[in-house]
Amino acid sequence: MHAESAGVRASTYGDLYLARRADLLAWSRKYSIWPFNFGLSCCYVEMATSITSKYDIARFGSEIIRGSPREADLMVVAGTVFVKMAPLVLHMYEQMMEPRWVICMGSCAGSGGMYDIYSVVQGVDTFLPVDVYVQGCPPSPDAFIRGLVLLGEAVASEKRPLSWLVGPQGVVRSAKPSLRDAMRPERQKQTDLRSPDGL
Amino acid sequence: MDQGVLQELADRFGQAAVLAQPTRDGIPTAWVSSELLAAVLRYLKSSPKGAYPMLWDITAIDERTRVHREGQPPSDFTVVYHLLSLERNQDVRIKVALSGEHPSIGSVTTVYSNADWYEREVWDMFGITFDGHPHPFRILMPPWWEGHPLRKEHPARATEMGPFQMSSEDAARMLSMMEFRPEDWGMKRESQEHEFMFLNFGPQHPSTHGVLRFVTQLDGEEIVDVVPEIGFHHRGAEKMGERQSWHTYIPYTDRIDYLGGVLNNFPYVLAVETLAGITVPDRAKVIRIMMAEIFRIISHLVYFGTFTADLGQMSMVFWMFTDRERAFDIVEAVTGGRMHPAWFRIGGVAQDLPTGWDTMVRDFCAYMHKRLRDYDASVMKNRIVKARMVGIGTVSAREALEWGATGPFLRGSGVSYDIRKNRPYGGYDMFQFDVPTATHGDSYDRLAVHVEEMHQSLRIIEQCLAGMPGGPYKSDHPLATPPRKERTMHDIETLINHFLGVSWGPVIPPGEATFVTEGSKGNHGYYLVSDGGTMSYRTRIRTPSFAHIQMVPMMSRGLTVPDLVTILGSIDYVLADLDR
Repeated sequence: MHAESAGVRASTYGDLYLARRADLLAWSRKYSIWPFNFGLSCCYVEMATSITSKYDIARFGSEIIRGSPREADLMVVAGTVFVKMAPLVLHMYEQMMEPRWVICMGSCAGSGGMYDIYSVVQGVDTFLPVDVYVQGCPPSPDAFIRGLVLLGEAVASEKRPLSWLVGPQGVVRSAKPSLRDAMRPERQKQTDLRSPDGL
Repeated sequence: MDQGVLQELADRFGQAAVLAQPTRDGIPTAWVSSELLAAVLRYLKSSPKGAYPMLWDITAIDERTRVHREGQPPSDFTVVYHLLSLERNQDVRIKVALSGEHPSIGSVTTVYSNADWYEREVWDMFGITFDGHPHPFRILMPPWWEGHPLRKEHPARATEMGPFQMSSEDAARMLSMMEFRPEDWGMKRESQEHEFMFLNFGPQHPSTHGVLRFVTQLDGEEIVDVVPEIGFHHRGAEKMGERQSWHTYIPYTDRIDYLGGVLNNFPYVLAVETLAGITVPDRAKVIRIMMAEIFRIISHLVYFGTFTADLGQMSMVFWMFTDRERAFDIVEAVTGGRMHPAWFRIGGVAQDLPTGWDTMVRDFCAYMHKRLRDYDASVMKNRIVKARMVGIGTVSAREALEWGATGPFLRGSGVSYDIRKNRPYGGYDMFQFDVPTATHGDSYDRLAVHVEEMHQSLRIIEQCLAGMPGGPYKSDHPLATPPRKERTMHDIETLINHFLGVSWGPVIPPGEATFVTEGSKGNHGYYLVSDGGTMSYRTRIRTPSFAHIQMVPMMSRGLTVPDLVTILGSIDYVLADLDR
């Protein structure tokens, strides 16, 4: 069992776990993020690859791919956001039910990437709120899984109202840390690059 | 190349009516007047000395700012018709000069059926009107678009056009503009007995393999007609060619058929090499072919897996994606990339093969042969799969040619035509392989051809393994990019040339060249026009998926919606290849 997440703690009584209701809900949301089966271009192929055996996002609770936005929790904007497609992307996002999250996969979705061209929207965040950005062109399935795990962590620490009667009503989302800054010290340690002439 | 067809045209229509233009690729090219065009095409289609049954491409060139047009008649916009003859194993290019800002020309849809979409594309991209076209609507750009993107005055960059803004009201207005109106397509809402149902399929649907929309007109379960709507994946790849240097355009080619990786680099670098007159050393040729065939297997595996998944056989896609990962291990070791390695260069490849590549490739071939035999048992001989595929989406050889089908699609209909065999390019003449064909042209046959092609690709890869030549992996030609660095620190002239070659990129001599290769899905062709600069003047990308998706209505009439899914799965198309 993937316990020991934010707020869910093992007790000293064997298989008994203790948590507050809000934390337990957040914890279960974290491990059941159902992606919407939606792709725009090349990135979608790598997203689909992450579902298959070698990578297998089922390990992170996301194996249930939904064909309808109404049943999905997560929209992965995988690929180039085309001007002709933009109203449809927004339409499908609006059909998703709360709580819903967006992973922006690939350079095109993030900023237009290498396609600074008339028919491409320069970043899906011009009309959708994005929770996690995954970089790459296309990002490898490993990179996508990393984004999914990051999203899971953010979801687990999110504060949502328990009902329309109890507690404060707003959603408190976790801060979006910059991974570039977080990983800089580790990356700076790398001084020797492997030669591409061998395997 | 034999220019006899031009003499034949001159004999038939008079010497004055046909103006020949020499091109770098040697494809016979003739200018004719717009009045004569339909007659010329009709004659060529059934020429007694070797017919041109296939309209391979129609495109246009905005000539208004072009400098090097020596020997060509004055023209503001040129429409280019590219025909293919199997009998002669030769192409012919017919050009028509048009003058004025928004010229018009007669439609040739009555001569070649597949001219329909090509003419719509030219209208959409250039604003050239085709008189008598049955559906003169935009095809790639959305209906609210203003202007025609491939005209020289249209901005290329999104950042030149101001920030993108879309409120919920804007989105609703755009969606209402995309609503399907049967009357526009000459479709009735009811027959004498029933009302038809219009079922919208896509642009977001797992079985369309991407953002592509079909509107089906149904009488009960039966498909009366289908209208495909494309352009959701239009990424402006052709316009991009006009602002990237010849070298920095290579990564954009990877993203055309995004499952085919270096198979896309191939026609592009060969076209540039034709323009520049570069010959490639043997080692580079064999490395290119080996990587291209590995990518053919990768692409076919995705096709095979997703096709069977569409039919409900879910396990194959997991098996085949695992195989694909093994092939990607080689690709990663050799190129450092996965799907889009952008690894071919003008004049060779980016790098030599790493030590130990041969063991990896040998292991992969041994593994893959066995896997393909397993798939034969679980898919090709599976009677449920057969029941879904056999007899569905049948296309005769004549129809396939008429609609511009190429590659495994054409061979599935019984026409043995493979560019690698019929016009060996890039060193394919050094290899032994067969061209698999089938007879019925149905969905099962198209799949069977793909499966056999994987065996043949493995055969080619094994030959590369056995006979990999030594020597340089890149040409010494001064236009090969990036230029050689070794001698740059010895004399100033080499340093200057190196600096310019790396910063501005090579200057390719003026001229025109088309290069056609056998991609995984059909013929990929790059028609490049150089005006003697560091960037292309016009880049035309002819892709197989565009031709094949145009055939969907013809293939699916009279069948049911699940059959439409089978047909789409059997075609092997990819969205970036369709809309570019």
